Amino acid sequence: MAKLMSLLWGAGSPPCWRVMITLEEKKLQGYKRKLLSFEKGEHKSQEVLEVNPRGQLPAFKHGDIILNESCATCLYLENQFKSQGIRLIPDSAEDQAATYQRMMEGLALTDKLNSVIYYDCSVPEEERHDSAVKRNKEALTAELKLWEGYLENVAAGSYLAGAFSLADVIVFPSIACAFRFGLSVGRYPKLAKYYSLLKNRASIKTTWPPHWVASPQGYDILKDL
Amino acid sequence: MAKAMTLLWATGSCPCWRVMIALEEKSLQGYNQKLLSFDKMEHKSQEVLDINPRGQIPTFKHGDNVINESYAACFYLESQFKTQGTKLIPDGPAEQALVYQRMFEGLTFYEKLTAVIYYEWYVPEGERHESALKRNKEALVTELKLWESYLQKLGSGSYLAGPSFTLADVVVFPTVGALFGFGLSPERYTKLGEYYNLLKERPSVKASWPPHWSENPKDQDTLKDTLKDI
Repeated sequence: MAKLMSLLWGAGSPPCWRVMITLEEKKLQGYKRKLLSFEKGEHKSQEVLEVNPRGQLPAFKHGDIILNESCATCLYLENQFKSQGIRLIPDSAEDQAATYQRMMEGLALTDKLNSVIYYDCSVPEEERHDSAVKRNKEALTAELKLWEGYLENVAAGSYLAGAFSLADVIVFPSIACAFRFGLSVGRYPKLAKYYSLLKNRASIKTTWPPHWVASPQGYDILKDL
Repeated sequence: MAKAMTLLWATGSCPCWRVMIALEEKSLQGYNQKLLSFDKMEHKSQEVLDINPRGQIPTFKHGDNVINESYAACFYLESQFKTQGTKLIPDGPAEQALVYQRMFEGLTFYEKLTAVIYYEWYVPEGERHESALKRNKEALVTELKLWESYLQKLGSGSYLAGPSFTLADVVVFPTVGALFGFGLSPERYTKLGEYYNLLKERPSVKASWPPHWSENPKDQDTLKDTLKDI
């Protein structure tokens, strides 16, 4: 099954990481993959554009089936391989509601992180404003505090929607990025606990961004949040 | 079942419309609902904050289950009520993949639309730039051409992910509805125009059509020109 799958990915990209965690959790190791460089603009190469006209990663193929949205890919893998590996979407109404809710909220978290971390990349110089940077940081702080609240009772086996689920697959990579970019462990103890509990989970450890392993020291953009 | 459900919504909100279409498609008419006003800041009222700390709508409750993200509510409804109403997510791998793919591209589509039509709502006066609005419009045009090409490939009379109506249409049609509500030219975007004409007659879409695209009667006329030149 996995032999028919291929993934074009970039290091440190939460969307790519989500798909890789899912493939591990669904016991689909052995898929073909190719690491591309955002810095060298390889996400805009012909190879990617042929799979994804948007020139974005991840770009995933299963036989002739193409999926270029990380959440779409994760949902597809969970549904098509429901009976193998870990169940990532629970059946009970209550747990399912929580899983879908946190999963989709996770996209707001990623957006708010990007708006701070990649401000200079996405906003041309003449359009930048200190007031915008300040507002983006305040929005991110409010967002992080929400997640800190969601994880009030975090413990082994008790994550965003109870047992490990698609919500954690989607959200964990962004939490890991936040700490990579300097988020204070002291100021966000629940997020820090969530991070330390899950970073040793097999699917997450195996797919940890290689350059983060090579140079554990990150950045400090978020240290004052 | 529907009696145990409550939706807080506002007119002209695509996310709210998505959930309302889904409820109709799953034969869950009769749910409790309350129309709120963005203009009166009712989305930041205690009533909403008690259900959704983000102060956003839609907010949806089914018994004690609270879901405040439109896509999450749609997935939940399809999964919990799989055997009633329209089947919104096909089982076959290729069909299913395309539904999920278009659904999530639909989030990008909606973002590019709102970056233009809500530019002044999102960006404080001192931070606005002609160059930014211009860039947002160009990005929307690129996005529109992509969706035109998706519909072109599938052929006349098709839905977004093939010959049948699916969850992709539930979550993306509201964006298309808004595009034409704000003046998009069906002569310039013929495939989207055909798609719009096809879907606007669907009972679930008709039943949930927003009373207005803008609450403000003053704006209701002028907003029809917003996208006419793009």
